[in-house]
Amino acid sequence: MKRIADILESIVVGVILAALVHTFLEDCSILAGWTVAARRWIIWAGLGIDIFFTIEFLTRLYVALTRGEAADYIFRQRGWIDFLASVPLLVFNSLPGVLALLAGAGLATGMGSFLNVLKVIKAVRIARILRLLRVVKLFRSIRYARSPLAQRHVAAITTISVTVLVVTVLAGSLLANLGVLPGLEASFQDAQTARARAVSAPGLDAAARAQLARQTGGLDASLLVVRQAGGKVLWTRHDQSYYENHFIPGEYGYYNLNGVETFFDERPIARAAAREGIVFFVAILLSVLAYLFLYSPRFALGISDPLHVMRRGMKESGYNLEVKIPARSPEDDDVFELARLYNSVFLPLKDRESDAGEQAPALALDDVRSLVEKG
Amino acid sequence: MSKVDSPSETTARFVARMFEMPALRSLPALQREEQALQFLRANGQQLQPLLASMGLGTASDWRATADVLSREMKTYADKLLEAELARAVDRRISLAFYPVLAGGRQAPPNVREELAALCRKISAHPVARRALSGSLAAVLSDLTDKYIPPAWESRKYIHGEVTRVQRLALDSEQCSDLLRVLILLRPAAYLQIAPGPEPTRDSGFTPVPEQALQRALPGLSAQVASLPAAVVRLALRSVLPFPAADNLEATSRLAAIFTHRGRSLAPSLVVDRGADTPDKSWFNVARRNARWHGLDPRMLDELYTIAAEHGW
Repeated sequence: MKRIADILESIVVGVILAALVHTFLEDCSILAGWTVAARRWIIWAGLGIDIFFTIEFLTRLYVALTRGEAADYIFRQRGWIDFLASVPLLVFNSLPGVLALLAGAGLATGMGSFLNVLKVIKAVRIARILRLLRVVKLFRSIRYARSPLAQRHVAAITTISVTVLVVTVLAGSLLANLGVLPGLEASFQDAQTARARAVSAPGLDAAARAQLARQTGGLDASLLVVRQAGGKVLWTRHDQSYYENHFIPGEYGYYNLNGVETFFDERPIARAAAREGIVFFVAILLSVLAYLFLYSPRFALGISDPLHVMRRGMKESGYNLEVKIPARSPEDDDVFELARLYNSVFLPLKDRESDAGEQAPALALDDVRSLVEKG
Repeated sequence: MSKVDSPSETTARFVARMFEMPALRSLPALQREEQALQFLRANGQQLQPLLASMGLGTASDWRATADVLSREMKTYADKLLEAELARAVDRRISLAFYPVLAGGRQAPPNVREELAALCRKISAHPVARRALSGSLAAVLSDLTDKYIPPAWESRKYIHGEVTRVQRLALDSEQCSDLLRVLILLRPAAYLQIAPGPEPTRDSGFTPVPEQALQRALPGLSAQVASLPAAVVRLALRSVLPFPAADNLEATSRLAAIFTHRGRSLAPSLVVDRGADTPDKSWFNVARRNARWHGLDPRMLDELYTIAAEHGW
């Protein structure tokens, strides 16, 4: 049973690593301008990962519920991270992304159903940041220190730091989305609205509108297509195959004014978001690595290791090793002050007691009892 | 057809398995026996019903069960001890120092036999047997080989005390050899002490009056007649406390220190991260308890420094 649990845990760790690589690749694919075919695979893989973590969360929750330990799982074992890094991502990010792909990957196909999905995708793009919480999940699975105290302490600090970072970024993105904090996207939309209004001006015939679209397209590189509501294309910057190969749903700005549809290129916004995503990802990853490799050893050296040595010395009769106190430890450090007292007072007293024959036996009662029971 | 064990076979098997438990396996025979007896005294009555169910004594008479088990423990320890003594006397004892203390004479061939015979006598005496535990552990270890060469190299307090104050012209190897013999002979000092009714106290390290040692010296020297009487005298005097005893010889002081260390050796001890090394820890604690144990604090200081420098 334990072996199966270990295998499952290993699979979870593997998928967490894959999810982190996936997050990084997804942003890189936007920045590098990978083809739609390649990015489609990444979107599908994201859905698979989110489904996996949702199933994992629901399974853990179900097991905890059957044992009557749901609250313990959610709060003490950080089940809330499992939740945030799975269900919202599936519902608000990967599933709408795949639905948009299925609804209409190209500009000219499936437009009617596609447009609504497009708006949803833009609104929930901010949920992507929750993926970074998976770094904490990965951290939880690594046995990086022998002392459970060090593990718990560093895990708690890491969770707090990563969560604060993610929540701050999430809140910032939400505010930007609501227009409270105007950013690149807002100025893009203002410009697009003005262009869309210009090319959709009433009273123009098809030839004049096509001429106007061509002129506007010359001024604004983000204008992609102007067409009549019936579907007749009046002006386009690229041919159809270019759109099919270089745009995925969510990278268009779309307006329908006075029976004229205009499409804009929103890839610069996606690239800016991808750049931010990579920066946050690297920042969070580096802070976790710093906790793991810089802070964790310091904590072990200064707190958990001395406490571990003292605990063993007080508990085990034959364990009489002193606590190693660094030469440059601060005088007012409580742990090392305690360790000095342990070395200079407790151990000598223990030594005198053992010399007087009052030492506790090294054998444990339970061990000998099990020896007797085995016959 | 399965064979049913007799009570004595059951006892022997239980004791053998107890002695081979991980907590005891790495210890020398006498320390295993000591730990097992100590465990029995502390927890035996709680185990009594279980032991009785195995056919070891009866549930009502704990005293009888404890006696049977104690005897079996001693028998088992004796078997292990025989091998350890043979190893100590045949392999660990070298008599390179002999000519220095015997006016240039070479060691006669029967020295080892006499030493082994005296050790057997020591192991049969309840009080001396307890003292033999630390001595044997120290002799079987590499303590003297590790610490005497650096002490000779630095030519500080220990070297000065042995070569200039005690006036022994020994090189470091000869000094190590002499110390091992002194450590092995040391428990003979307790042969004069009658065992008390309660074996729980460690009388093996109770100071013995100097006059009693002087009275015992001729008899003990006769038992190891091949060894110079000075060696036996140094070994016996190593049980005297420092600085209470007048002019206690440096080699006796060193033998006392290494015997104490031998008693605390734990070969299987894993040094945790954050802990100091075993020897350094021990010498540092011993420095603080030097007066309590009657050990020379300056020698402990020097040995502590050696341990720290070498990471022991």
